[in-house]
Amino acid sequence: MPCAEAMRVQAYFDGEADAVAAADIERHIEGCAECRALLDDLEKLRTALRQELTFESAPAALRARVLRALNAQQPIKPRMQPFWKGAFSGIGGTAIAAGLAFFLLAPPLTNPLLEDLVSAHVRSLMPDHLIDVVSTDKHTVKPWFAGHADVSPVVADFADQGYRLIGGRADYFDHQRAAVVVYQHGPHVINVFSWAATKDSVPKDATRNGYHMAFWKTGNLVYCAVSDTGWDELRRLVQLLQE
Amino acid sequence: MDDRRRRFELLVLPHLDAAYRFARWLSRSPSDADDVVQEAVLRAFRGFDALRGSDVKAWLLTIVRNCHLTALKQQQRRAFVPLPEEHDAEDGHAVIATTPDPESTSMRRDEQRTLDRLMSALPEEHREVLVLREIEEMDYREIAAVTNVPIGTVMSRLARARTALKARWLQEAEREPHAVR
Repeated sequence: MPCAEAMRVQAYFDGEADAVAAADIERHIEGCAECRALLDDLEKLRTALRQELTFESAPAALRARVLRALNAQQPIKPRMQPFWKGAFSGIGGTAIAAGLAFFLLAPPLTNPLLEDLVSAHVRSLMPDHLIDVVSTDKHTVKPWFAGHADVSPVVADFADQGYRLIGGRADYFDHQRAAVVVYQHGPHVINVFSWAATKDSVPKDATRNGYHMAFWKTGNLVYCAVSDTGWDELRRLVQLLQE
Repeated sequence: MDDRRRRFELLVLPHLDAAYRFARWLSRSPSDADDVVQEAVLRAFRGFDALRGSDVKAWLLTIVRNCHLTALKQQQRRAFVPLPEEHDAEDGHAVIATTPDPESTSMRRDEQRTLDRLMSALPEEHREVLVLREIEEMDYREIAAVTNVPIGTVMSRLARARTALKARWLQEAEREPHAVR
């Protein structure tokens, strides 16, 4: 017979408990050996699944097939270059950049910074856009920024905690060359942007188009971690970077 | 390319990898996953105007799941015999390809295959909540939306799925002690 609190312990583990409930559950766990064991099991299973389970990205052939199918959905204007033809070449990049610019102008903007960050994140996910310096070594990534970005952010590898450093990139952003440190978490890419603060306030954490954005400030640098991970998982990396 | 198509490519297509991962774990076959994802993207495109808010990924995965269920029904109708979930363990093993990580030891690869196989053998309603929570890292509300059940059901399914997977994992450890740490 499992402890009656088991479901609440699971909710706590999944980051679904608010601060008050979490404190309450933590108190319970201290006194309940069964729930401590449950929490331990949940953690082990999660770690195993995130590290060992096979997950693959959509194959390039499928991506091309999907774009062809989309093209067949509606007539393309005669002078337009079919998108899929350039999808994996420089022309594709230009088409996307033009698309991005248009998209950014189109809807009413809430906060242009958020839209910029999401656009930069999405752009980075396209083939060959993610990383300028490929390395899992912070001693390679950190010095690289000296010649390529206007700021020098914190660079560290947290592979043991599930956040593997995979490289760095420079993005032109907010009128400066921002430094982007790239992490891999399970199948998710996390871009950590950093740039010189131009004002005291730091934007509130936000979600746009399915991507979470967590902001913080260290010294005179503003950081923003962007990804489609869960909130808990994103904030865990933020915590590690702040330590 | 018109504005609507451009917006679709910027908002929805970045979630193609997530759609594919989910489809792979639902259908347990690469070719079925391809078909499901293509059909889902087309349906998403047709229904794009109905998309509100910023939950694009959950919205797309909901469509992927619906397409998977439709394809499954069609397959079952063609085969005349329903395919019982629980008996798929052996097939599941064969269709999930493992891509070995060069850094991993052979022991780690064993474990990867073990977990893939155990996951494949779980009933679909367990498999999907586990993938959505542990791999896609969605919250209960999003999982409830994708799987079309109340949050309470998501919680109980997750609990049962975790218990079932853990039990099978332990069994495996007893049989093949080297495969599980």
